[in-house]
Amino acid sequence: MVVDDSRMVELQMKNLLEDTDYEIVAYCRNGEDSIDTYGQIHPDLVTMDIIMPGMDGLETAQAILEKYPDAKIIMVSSLAYEDTFDEAKTIGAKGFLDKPFDRERLLATFEQALAE
Amino acid sequence: MDTAMSQQNLEEMLDTVVREVTESTAGIRLYHDTQPPAGDLCTIYISFQKGLRSSLSLCAEAAMLKRMTQNFIQSEDVTLQDLEDFSKEYFNVVCGRVAAILFKTTKLAARFSVPDFYQGRYSPEGFRDQFVLTYSSDQRENAQLTHHVPRRDEDEVTATTTLT
Repeated sequence: MVVDDSRMVELQMKNLLEDTDYEIVAYCRNGEDSIDTYGQIHPDLVTMDIIMPGMDGLETAQAILEKYPDAKIIMVSSLAYEDTFDEAKTIGAKGFLDKPFDRERLLATFEQALAE
Repeated sequence: MDTAMSQQNLEEMLDTVVREVTESTAGIRLYHDTQPPAGDLCTIYISFQKGLRSSLSLCAEAAMLKRMTQNFIQSEDVTLQDLEDFSKEYFNVVCGRVAAILFKTTKLAARFSVPDFYQGRYSPEGFRDQFVLTYSSDQRENAQLTHHVPRRDEDEVTATTTLT
């Protein structure tokens, strides 16, 4: 499941995941919707943007993980620095992917998160 | 930005980030220029929050943003909505990089707003331009990155005096 307010990220994810073992089962443009959607479909993996209108990605990830502690969430953001990494780790995110990303890094981050 | 970083260092850092991100996300190399953008313009704007009180805008010729969008989505067919969505995502990455470098240098954990997109030129109210970096692309399309800082009381006095 992809949570990102940018339609460009949706397009990019679709392109990068083409001909791989991964399928995007849901796409949410904001944090609030993603909490409900997660409860309905329980995806294997969630990619979560941080800068979003309304609830930001860190707040949303925390809310999902409080309700569903087994959720595997990867934070995806250009805010790639220690303070954000620490916050993501404290919440319980399984990985961090900094933007911009390519297919190799995307898949490696997925595999690492799923292996945990 | 109210950081320990000098204006010169900040200018150099912003210059490096905007050129790197433009090339890596959209395959377009930017060169220093003196010619401001003209004609059909778009502006992307972000304000920093949490520790910083400044903002950044990029005003660019629409043709350049269209070409960047085409390169990113690998399609010639680009709608205005595509252009807006790409521009906001691109500037989000620029500002994220800036925040990451600022954190390494100053330990200040800056966050920023969701980007705003405007057709035409946009200048935020209550801010003044601290510096402007001007670029052209390999196809002579122009853009300007502006660092805005809060207007001080003395700026208001100066502006009023000048107008009078």
